[in-house]
Amino acid sequence: MVRVLIVEDEALIAMLLEDLVQELGFDGHAYATSNDALAALKTLPFDVAILDVNLGASLSYPVADALAAQGIPFAFATGYGSGGVDPKYRGVTVMRKPIESGALKTVIEQLLNPGIPAAEGA
Amino acid sequence: MSHAESPMAAALTGRVAGDQEVVIERPNGERVAAVVRINLLHAAEGGLVGGAACFEVMEKRPAEQLSDSQSDLEDFFENGVVALHWVGPDGRILRANQAELDLLGYESEEYVGRHIAEFHADRAVIDDLLARLSYHQKLERYPARLRTKSGEIRHVLISSNVYSQDGEFVHTRCFTLDVTERHLAQLDLQESERRSRELLEALPAAVYTTDRNGAITFYNEAAAELWGVRPELGTSYWCGSWRLFWPDGTPVPHDECPMAIALKENRSVRNVEALAERPDGTRVPFMPYPTPLHDAQHRLVGAVNMLIDLTHLKQAHRRQQLLINELNHRVKNTLATIQSIAHQTFTGKADEELKQRFEKRLIALAKTHDILTRGNWRGADIRELISQLIEFACDAGERATVEGPSVLLPQRAVVPLAMAIHELCTNASKYGALTDPAGRIVIEWQCLAGGTRLKLRWAELGGPPVQTPTRRGFGTRLLERGLTHELRADCKLTFQPSGVLFEMDMPLSTATPPT
Repeated sequence: MVRVLIVEDEALIAMLLEDLVQELGFDGHAYATSNDALAALKTLPFDVAILDVNLGASLSYPVADALAAQGIPFAFATGYGSGGVDPKYRGVTVMRKPIESGALKTVIEQLLNPGIPAAEGA
Repeated sequence: MSHAESPMAAALTGRVAGDQEVVIERPNGERVAAVVRINLLHAAEGGLVGGAACFEVMEKRPAEQLSDSQSDLEDFFENGVVALHWVGPDGRILRANQAELDLLGYESEEYVGRHIAEFHADRAVIDDLLARLSYHQKLERYPARLRTKSGEIRHVLISSNVYSQDGEFVHTRCFTLDVTERHLAQLDLQESERRSRELLEALPAAVYTTDRNGAITFYNEAAAELWGVRPELGTSYWCGSWRLFWPDGTPVPHDECPMAIALKENRSVRNVEALAERPDGTRVPFMPYPTPLHDAQHRLVGAVNMLIDLTHLKQAHRRQQLLINELNHRVKNTLATIQSIAHQTFTGKADEELKQRFEKRLIALAKTHDILTRGNWRGADIRELISQLIEFACDAGERATVEGPSVLLPQRAVVPLAMAIHELCTNASKYGALTDPAGRIVIEWQCLAGGTRLKLRWAELGGPPVQTPTRRGFGTRLLERGLTHELRADCKLTFQPSGVLFEMDMPLSTATPPT
């Protein structure tokens, strides 16, 4: 089963993302901080990741860099919109919160199969 | 001379014989010296019967000529309009003409014979004057102040040199020109200039002026502070800043700066921004207001420029942007939380449809917020709003026709209208025209009454026959009552058998009081 890494500091939103991912037939694991996520990355194999940008006091960029280094595809989820992401991650898909399950499905499938054209308005 | 004393009378009466000298005055006042010779005429018997006069105009004799030119000089000295005096080697006044006496208000006997220094207001000045003259120096327009009899001060320019004989100081020849009026006018001018400068200095805005060639002629303290340098007057041109850039960081040569454009093209320049870099490297964003100045004949004489420091404005704008971003982030996270709560609440199979309908409404609301945020919450373009909502809720593709001009919807109309459109979209997809592959929806709008009213029409065509619903759901109520209530719109929702028709006529006027 496809394993999805979820980094989200707000518990209720993390629960929702886990549920949505599960309903789509994937295996979701949510972590509240970059350190937790980085620790999990060392022990568990992940196929794809969804990262909330702003984790309260810190940002999830260390996780993004670790994922990039390991070649695991990922997308950001943020309330700020694409303007709220560091320009160095220009090519990365940014989903706006709240995330609709249809859009989440499209994005994950696209990350797993980069041949599929990017979904508009994701 | 009376006619009875004329040469003719004198000869006829025998009082004078021979040539007589006279001066004849012509009606034009010209006088001619002449010699008159009277020949007495006698009758044959010897009786005197008359006389014949012979006039001979005389050339002037050199002695007379000399005396004439002396008297001319006397007249020139005495009655000329320029004040003149002579001062002896001891500093005493030897002579003074009427103009000089008039200037100081003295009678000749009160003035002549006194020491010249008594009439000067500044002892050092007259001492210097006399010292220079004693060295036979020629003085030209030497400024001094004289005191009149009534105690008034007159500003004068003295031109003087010494008349000497065999190297001996005989007397000075002083011309005194009264320039008091000019001096006072100059003082007035200086005062008015000083006041304008003080006024410009007192302004908190940076102000500077140039002549018509662009040379800086004045700048105030605020300008020096903004520039971080004090440019040299008269040799610095166009702008006093150290370095100049456009807002995007491109360097601006000084002779292409807004002030240079204002002078070269003889027009005011407005609505441009620039960055001034100080020698310490700090940069100040500012807005210049260069304006050409003209004389009474409308000729360009220079320009004035005011530089408005935008630093605080930019900071405030950045802070506001940060706040808007933060607010948007919080709102979106809250919506995501609500989405999560709903997800945890509608858990059964029977709840699945409700859950999806709720989530779609929530996402439609979030998308509307995105559009509002992109426009800094000033409002939203109706075309962008409708297109996005249709794409999200209908997936109608070619089957949706969206037609109308770009109109900025007032901010308070955006959310209610977006929710209404979303309900129409959902209804069309679930029950209406879009359930049939041949069905279509046509959304059209236009601005009426000079842009103060918006008329919108949503029509469904080619779908299954429509029946009027028995129950008024959320969508119906929102369309029929919500918009009327919140936006003062006239709304009509018709369940025609051929397709749903929604018509709305909404005021756009900003004069509508906010609810």
